[in-house]
Amino acid sequence: MERRPYFVLGDFGSNLLVGALVAVATGAVVGDAWPMALGMGLGMLLGDLIALPAAVALSMLFGAMELMLPLMLTGMVAGMAAGMAGTATALGTADGVVLGGVCGLVVCAGTYAFNGYLHARHRREQS
Amino acid sequence: MDIETRRKWDNAARGYALMNGRGPEWRWAPPKRRLFSEMSGRVLFLAVGPGLDIQFFPPGREIVGLDISPMMLEAAAPLAEAYEGTLELRLLDVHDLDEPTGSFDQAFTSCTFCSVPDPVAGLEAVRRVLKPGGSLGMFEHTGSRFFPFSAMLDVMTPLTWRFGPEMNRDTVANVTRAGFVDVRVEPVYLDVVKIIRAVAS
Repeated sequence: MERRPYFVLGDFGSNLLVGALVAVATGAVVGDAWPMALGMGLGMLLGDLIALPAAVALSMLFGAMELMLPLMLTGMVAGMAAGMAGTATALGTADGVVLGGVCGLVVCAGTYAFNGYLHARHRREQS
Repeated sequence: MDIETRRKWDNAARGYALMNGRGPEWRWAPPKRRLFSEMSGRVLFLAVGPGLDIQFFPPGREIVGLDISPMMLEAAAPLAEAYEGTLELRLLDVHDLDEPTGSFDQAFTSCTFCSVPDPVAGLEAVRRVLKPGGSLGMFEHTGSRFFPFSAMLDVMTPLTWRFGPEMNRDTVANVTRAGFVDVRVEPVYLDVVKIIRAVAS
């Protein structure tokens, strides 16, 4: 379980940043007259298109799989959430930053929790 | 030698240290150092790449490091020379391992069997050159059993295989298929990055 501040801050900061970017970009593309499913699908696609190059670039600083997998998931989740919100009402930049940032933090916290669970299960099996 | 694979890793050599030399190596330093601290006797290391893992080798060991790529070995040469022990670098495809049967006490890998074209045949070759009871220690990334990570790694594999590894390999199953026994897995990150220990039968 990662506890070094450099990597923990890097993980959460990267997910916050990518989530915000994805949500803002999705909010700028999706219109409030769109069907919700279309907005969510496009948001998810846009999310991964933004998250993949971001993951490649940020992995040079913060690690490979540990960064790439949560970021790809953040891209999908933030894109879907912003796509859904954007079809209900016009999503402004500030709203997009908050929504995407929260999605990124939740995804990152979720992967930390799941990783912790898998390590705890392994320790239980060994004892 | 598999020329296509050699060309792929020659092409990757230029940017490999830039991509992996800082973040990933810093992040994986503690588990790699712990795994490689187990080195003893005559050790086979595959694939040595540009030598990023040499910094984690304990001093004073007798190690033969293989790689399929001359460009990678060229990058690794200064690091191998600086190693405080015996580290011989050899240009060799794991499928063509020509060492005598039972000539190594241990074999170690680091993100290797995600990209060996025929992983089971490669692992069988490793098992052959290990003494009976010799140990295999692997630091590898594999596919995942858990959604959505499994789907993400499946989707990424056709892209990454062109210039590097397959992201969804089941390396633990491959180790068993190659005839190793007492296979033990220690998670490093989720069920994707892991240390695999096994024994040559």
